[in-house]
Amino acid sequence: MKKAIFLAAFAALAFAACNGEDRDMDKPAITTEGITASPSECDSYERGDTIRFCYRMTDNMELGNFNIEVHGNHDHHTHSTSDIECEHEGEEEHHDAENPWVFNQDYQIPDGLHDYTAHVDIAIPTHVDPGDYHFMIRLTDKAGWQEIRSVAIELE
Amino acid sequence: MTKTLLLVMLLGTPPDSVISLQDVTVSARSAQAKAATQNAVKVDAAYIDEHFSGSLMQSLEGIPGVKAVSIGTGLSRPTIRGLGYNRMVVSEDGIKHEGQQWGDDHGLEVDQFAVDAVEVIKGPATLLYGSDAIGGVLAITGNRLPARPLEASVSLFGHSNSLQGGLSARVAGRSNGFFYKANLTLSDYGDYRVPTDTIQYYSYRIALRDGRLRNTAGTERDMRLMVGWTDNERLRTDITVSNVYARSGFFADAHGMEVRLSNIDYNRSIRDVDLPSQWVNHLKVQSHTTYQLGTASLEANLAWQHNLREELSEPLSHGYMPTPPDSLERRFDKHTFSGTLAARIPLGARHEVSLGTGAEHQRNSRDGWGFIIPAFESSSWGLYALDRWTPSENLALNAGVRYDLNAIDIHSYSDWYRTPVGSDSVFMQRSADVRRTFSALTWSAGANWHNDDWILRLNVGKAFRVPIAKELGANGVNYHIFRYEQGNAGLDPERSYQVDAGIEWGRGAFVVKADPYASYFPNYIYLNPTPDYVEGLQLYRYTQTRAMRYGIEVEAAWAFAPQWELGLRGQFCRSRQLSGDKRGYTLPFALPPSADVDLGWHYDYRGCGNVGLNLHAVAAQNEIVPPEKPTPGYMTVNLSASHRFTLRGDRQLSLAVQLGNLLNTTYYDHTSYYRLIDVPEPGRHVSLRIKYEF
Repeated sequence: MKKAIFLAAFAALAFAACNGEDRDMDKPAITTEGITASPSECDSYERGDTIRFCYRMTDNMELGNFNIEVHGNHDHHTHSTSDIECEHEGEEEHHDAENPWVFNQDYQIPDGLHDYTAHVDIAIPTHVDPGDYHFMIRLTDKAGWQEIRSVAIELE
Repeated sequence: MTKTLLLVMLLGTPPDSVISLQDVTVSARSAQAKAATQNAVKVDAAYIDEHFSGSLMQSLEGIPGVKAVSIGTGLSRPTIRGLGYNRMVVSEDGIKHEGQQWGDDHGLEVDQFAVDAVEVIKGPATLLYGSDAIGGVLAITGNRLPARPLEASVSLFGHSNSLQGGLSARVAGRSNGFFYKANLTLSDYGDYRVPTDTIQYYSYRIALRDGRLRNTAGTERDMRLMVGWTDNERLRTDITVSNVYARSGFFADAHGMEVRLSNIDYNRSIRDVDLPSQWVNHLKVQSHTTYQLGTASLEANLAWQHNLREELSEPLSHGYMPTPPDSLERRFDKHTFSGTLAARIPLGARHEVSLGTGAEHQRNSRDGWGFIIPAFESSSWGLYALDRWTPSENLALNAGVRYDLNAIDIHSYSDWYRTPVGSDSVFMQRSADVRRTFSALTWSAGANWHNDDWILRLNVGKAFRVPIAKELGANGVNYHIFRYEQGNAGLDPERSYQVDAGIEWGRGAFVVKADPYASYFPNYIYLNPTPDYVEGLQLYRYTQTRAMRYGIEVEAAWAFAPQWELGLRGQFCRSRQLSGDKRGYTLPFALPPSADVDLGWHYDYRGCGNVGLNLHAVAAQNEIVPPEKPTPGYMTVNLSASHRFTLRGDRQLSLAVQLGNLLNTTYYDHTSYYRLIDVPEPGRHVSLRIKYEF
């Protein structure tokens, strides 16, 4: 009995040594290719406006889900996925936010897709602080890889 | 065929040499190696002294297959053949050491200066140690009998990377039947330094000042007292009280949701600890008694361990959680009561039977505004029998069987704030009541044969591990790494079947050995990243998968001249998931192949000393599973030197210096939690220890 287990185990080992080629080793991608993406870097919005979110999401095998999160960038931190520095009015503008806009929503992508263009309308509340914000897009694929893209936007 | 190259390694020493740089190999050819059917290596305090490099585990890294996963200079946790956390047991004087094994940023909670000897068992050893010893055992001895009426030592130590400074003192003695031993260790360190000026954490780019990880400073205060009595013949009994306290900051830029908005001036000092931070305290009271009854030896242990841990961070609202009233994010308070009873009974000249039983009860309660691990109670009981048969002088066989029964009762947890659900709002339940009972029958059998030149070992066995509360009932945001972690109440006890072999040949000044192993897990439990989002974060869920692991450690040593030694050692380990979502991938944090070349010189001049040069090469790791990144290979050059002066009387003064990463190479440790946030390992550094014994 135990012998059988070990034989099975070693057979599995021999098998395992040469399979695993269909593993997904690539992250999904969040791109602007072939579409007019929105929001784009340094876009400016009025409070009360709607952000017409549009990004293309691709994966070599199958897409998972995505999430959109917006947080204040009143301290002007940077994200490694965005090298663009938008022009900020005034040098020392760092200040504490009192009522920053916080948005965080999960979205599902239909099963079986490896290319998907997401459209979401996001209403900006009227009572939030104006200033610099980061618009974060997070995307997974079926294998569990995650890609993150950060876009700097401004509320007036 | 770099793989093959890495497999053919050497290091060690001829059987009769006493050059301490290669203590590991010396002990490997000791009587123990010739009798043990399992791969075990024993080192003593002198070895740890000479290889001192910051933490106990780092000092043990010279043993092939043993690796320290370090968080800064002070904290590190062991892995054996790539398995760590709850897949190995750390025991101290026969009692399983309870840390907070589940966390990435928890150290070992052991005072390394109070250690007399360490035995590392590679491969499963659940037969004697019960659940968790699926990957191996680190058995620490701290209760050796003092030899003289009064002995004392004082050590000073330091580490350049974190500007660590510390002091350890020891007084011990024995008169008539009475003996005692007292240890005190104090250590303080500043922010950890890495050779880079920017790191990337969850897409945030963080600039480092002077390469320092802000707020990673800390302090440690350990004490230990043993008192006992022996009739110097049959009976020995002692009581040990030990306390380990450590406080350290979390890397401020890589912890918590909104830390970038903090008003704390982290650059004010490299030695202070601001929020976020943690402190842990481990108190242990242990009674240990041995008694010789006729030819049989009996041993009884009783222990109470109290683990306290608090994680503190700035109170900030997140999602529907309002701003908490204080900085207590999490508190864990765990009591463990354990007892063991063991007997070794010789039957005739050729058999020795070991019988043993052990029981343990744990209570864990929690507090704080952040939830990740539920409160629980757990109980376990085990019983084993083992026979060791020596049919001839050259051959030893053993076989044993063990039965374990474990029960866990996890308490439900609901949020302290309301979350809107439709038009209503509720206190969301994070974790439900879970009651599980696990039982396991495990076994092991082995053989050892040796003659003058050869030692051959073979061991097969079944091991198991009970899932922990985190794996069964976690449900919350892990702020250390920005993900949502969810337990799985339906997990089975993890099992593994392993075959382990050893072959060693030595003659004259030359020794070669190889230790291959393979194991099959019907259900390996791990944290699997899913495509889903929960509350804005990627969901990671505990999952079980069929898996296979196999590997080998190889060593060779050659004493090519009277005072010179050349050694090579290497290890290779590979794993595959055979079922589930991640079929075909490796298991997480796969150990990359590595090789070491050591050149050692021993001299006798005003005492004695050793000088060692080490080249440590690690291959690239491209065997990854989400969310890991491939890690490039690297090589470091390390120098060590130690000298022991014998002064008047029995007094001794010893010095040990380690120069690590001489070429200041920037590299990443694939198995470290810091790898996920792109934090490299330390650059060039020096550690120093001065010890005075009198």
